[in-house]
Amino acid sequence: MELSVSGVTKVFGHVPAVRDLTFAVPSGRVTGFLGPNGAGKTTTLRMLLGLVRPTSGAALIGGRRYVELTAPRRVVGAVLEATGFHPGRRGLDHLRVLAQVTGVERGRVDEVLELVGLAADGRRRVGEYSLGMRQRLGLAAALLGDPAALVLDEPANGLDPEGMAWLRQLLRDMATEGRTILVSSHVLSEVAQVADHVVIINHGRLRYAGPLRGLGGGVVSVRVTEADRLRDALAARGLGVTSTGDTTLVVRGATAEEVGRIAVDERIVLSELTETNASLEAAFLDLVRATDGEPAAAGAR
Amino acid sequence: MMTLIGNEFTKLRTVRGPWVLLAIQQAVIIAGVSGIATAAGDLTSRRMMFGLLSHAGVASAILTLVLGITAVAGEYRHKTITDTLLATPRRGRVVAAKLAAYTIAGVGLGVISAVTGLLTTGAWRYAEGARLDLTDSGVWRIVAGIVALNAAYAAIGVSLGALVRNITGTVIVALTWIALVETTVANLLGDLGRWLPNRAGMALNDMPAAGALLPQWGGGAVLLGYAGLIAAAALATTVRRDVT
Repeated sequence: MELSVSGVTKVFGHVPAVRDLTFAVPSGRVTGFLGPNGAGKTTTLRMLLGLVRPTSGAALIGGRRYVELTAPRRVVGAVLEATGFHPGRRGLDHLRVLAQVTGVERGRVDEVLELVGLAADGRRRVGEYSLGMRQRLGLAAALLGDPAALVLDEPANGLDPEGMAWLRQLLRDMATEGRTILVSSHVLSEVAQVADHVVIINHGRLRYAGPLRGLGGGVVSVRVTEADRLRDALAARGLGVTSTGDTTLVVRGATAEEVGRIAVDERIVLSELTETNASLEAAFLDLVRATDGEPAAAGAR
Repeated sequence: MMTLIGNEFTKLRTVRGPWVLLAIQQAVIIAGVSGIATAAGDLTSRRMMFGLLSHAGVASAILTLVLGITAVAGEYRHKTITDTLLATPRRGRVVAAKLAAYTIAGVGLGVISAVTGLLTTGAWRYAEGARLDLTDSGVWRIVAGIVALNAAYAAIGVSLGALVRNITGTVIVALTWIALVETTVANLLGDLGRWLPNRAGMALNDMPAAGALLPQWGGGAVLLGYAGLIAAAALATTVRRDVT
């Protein structure tokens, strides 16, 4: 059950929320969906789930639009940030209401309550639940239909560290079973522990899609007297360059050898050339800070 | 579709609001009918019997309208609309199921309210030495009116809530219309005022009113027309709107 977003644009009024976004989420692994707040993550997820209509392009579940699915909750389980509960309804009843339209037996309600660790609290009203318990109840609802795909929007909000560890294990297990898991977050470290592939967006545009480890490498520091000339030469070849001093530059997206060759071509003398691996977090911040320009590695899966 | 309608009843049953509303509704009927009875001099006339009984209609229907408004607008308020639409992405079906379920619930509330109205009216007349004449066909026309009015107002409430989506806003708009706007407009329009929705509702309720009203069947037909128009607008907008 592959989830796919192809050429999707969404404009609210005159404000573009998502711009020509394309990526795919294959089954059998956990995919992280990253970007700062307001990047367009929630809008994208809502388009996948048929809640928001794309201005153009298509967001598909196994090749079909969500609205075309015959038993959607048995295909995709979703916990969105705006998923709510009636505070006066018991947790158990909330799930019974959903079980009825999901098309599953009532026994399944007890199973999922047990699974998320709320078996003892099912008879309490949701108004008495903590934020973490609500997250678990939302998750229980998403799991009711034993779905082939799971979409979670910022699941870390409200879960304590123990709850997060439990959730990560659950997601890994579900991915191993061949399910499709898409988890959004604005914090890389939350996703890095469970996802091996990430899709990063900012300002509604794709910044990166590919393996998590492909995100870090390739930061080169250079010490050079003619820093300005080298910087222009590197920038002219499309490399990201930042000055960290009068005679020092940091280059991203290139190896030390590539930087050295460019310096030779330009007949610039280097006094120091080192390649280091940037932290994932730094690379992520770098991607989302650069607001314009083309995606770093579009099309990768 | 039957599953969806049943689902709406499960939702209604599993929260306290509708039960509280039912209790308030009956209290309002008892208090309202008793208020009119206390203020009036002679309770033994036939016209007074109709006056007391028909009050159960308008008094209950306003609260049934509020219940109808909670159907969709309440789901937006508590954000349960997301889960509802994830289960049934074809939104027209959701609104249609709610219209059906709440109309049935409106019939139920109407029947209970009519019984409360009959008992209260009967009690006041008994105290005055008169009785509630159940062989009088006029009594049963009012009872039918009370039930039909509640059903219609429930459906109108569902549609209004789906159109506006904000529960407080919808309730304020609806109650302001009934209490203030329509009365003013009706006065300005004169005879044409009987075609306004709440006037049509009063006609359906078969109230002995001061102003000119449509006949009971006419009021029912006009109200049904309004309900249909608002429902069509609600269906059309609900299907298109983004749920964010």
